[in-house]
Amino acid sequence: MNAQSLFYWSLAVTALGLVLIGLWGVLTRKNILRIALAFTLADTGVNLILVWSGFLPGRSAPIVDSSVSSMVDPLPQALVLTSIVIGVAVAALFVVVGVLAARKSGSADVRRMKELKW
Amino acid sequence: MIRTIVGLIIVLALSVVVISSVPDYSLPSGLQGVGQDYTERGVNDTGSVNLVTAVVVAYRGLDTLGEVVVLFSASTAVVLVLTLVPMGANPTPSSSIVAFTSGVLPGSIVLFGIYIITHGHLSPGGGFPGGAVVASAFLLVMLGSNKIPGKSKLLASIESLAGVTFGLLGFWGMMMFGQFLNNMVLPAGSPGKLFSAGIIPLISLVIGAKVASELSGVFSSYRKAGGDE
Repeated sequence: MNAQSLFYWSLAVTALGLVLIGLWGVLTRKNILRIALAFTLADTGVNLILVWSGFLPGRSAPIVDSSVSSMVDPLPQALVLTSIVIGVAVAALFVVVGVLAARKSGSADVRRMKELKW
Repeated sequence: MIRTIVGLIIVLALSVVVISSVPDYSLPSGLQGVGQDYTERGVNDTGSVNLVTAVVVAYRGLDTLGEVVVLFSASTAVVLVLTLVPMGANPTPSSSIVAFTSGVLPGSIVLFGIYIITHGHLSPGGGFPGGAVVASAFLLVMLGSNKIPGKSKLLASIESLAGVTFGLLGFWGMMMFGQFLNNMVLPAGSPGKLFSAGIIPLISLVIGAKVASELSGVFSSYRKAGGDE
């Protein structure tokens, strides 16, 4: 494994790490706003994995100026543009519902929100 | 405690599954399939130098229309939930730093946002990031003033007008070429110029207006609901 390959795969490991930290936060945190934060962290990690999947080491952004053959894949970047916007929308709704639930149960602790338990 | 351990076990198991499912740790050799196609033909097909914008607005324009609908429904849900349940009354007063900057910066932030929107087919940017930048100027103004934002007819009309225009631009392509959102209803021009790339700049403008007004609506309903009870 040479240096370039190590660099390439370390990017993937970083993005995967973000997803896992976010998942861990969603599973273990108790404050609903921290869960929302962990959720957006995982969201960012997924976006990074998508961008990485179209990345080729040493190539530049997909904006045509002179050399067409030295660009990364534009398709994952376009997908991630969509994904970021949807992520923002979901996070905004998440926070609103979380704040509502916290005001209803009197605390932001998810263990006290009995309405969601069965 | 048990929660932490179970969470760690799940996360570790997932990471083992993902890492062991990677077939081989080599470098990709080059572009394949549709990505290769887009990079080779993108400029000729759409006239847009920025290929990401070409994919988002021209090749997959219908998906972007759907994305705008998702954003619209999410912001409507936020506003709806927050107006059904009136929560706060007095917004938290802003600090003097925020109050001062909110009088100085918003003009240049809006200018920068408009630059990003209008140059979406030339450089990194486009309607979504530019609209978010414009909305951030709105957020700064709102944080700087100690008044609760009133009901804004202007934001709602900009939002609806932008949505209708997006649809009409799509139908324009349908009338001329029988293809929804056809990019070539306007001339492609010479790639790299501001007035080029068919209807991509127009759609960027529409998306920018829509994103800016929607995010501003979400921010202002947050502001209305926040503060002390």
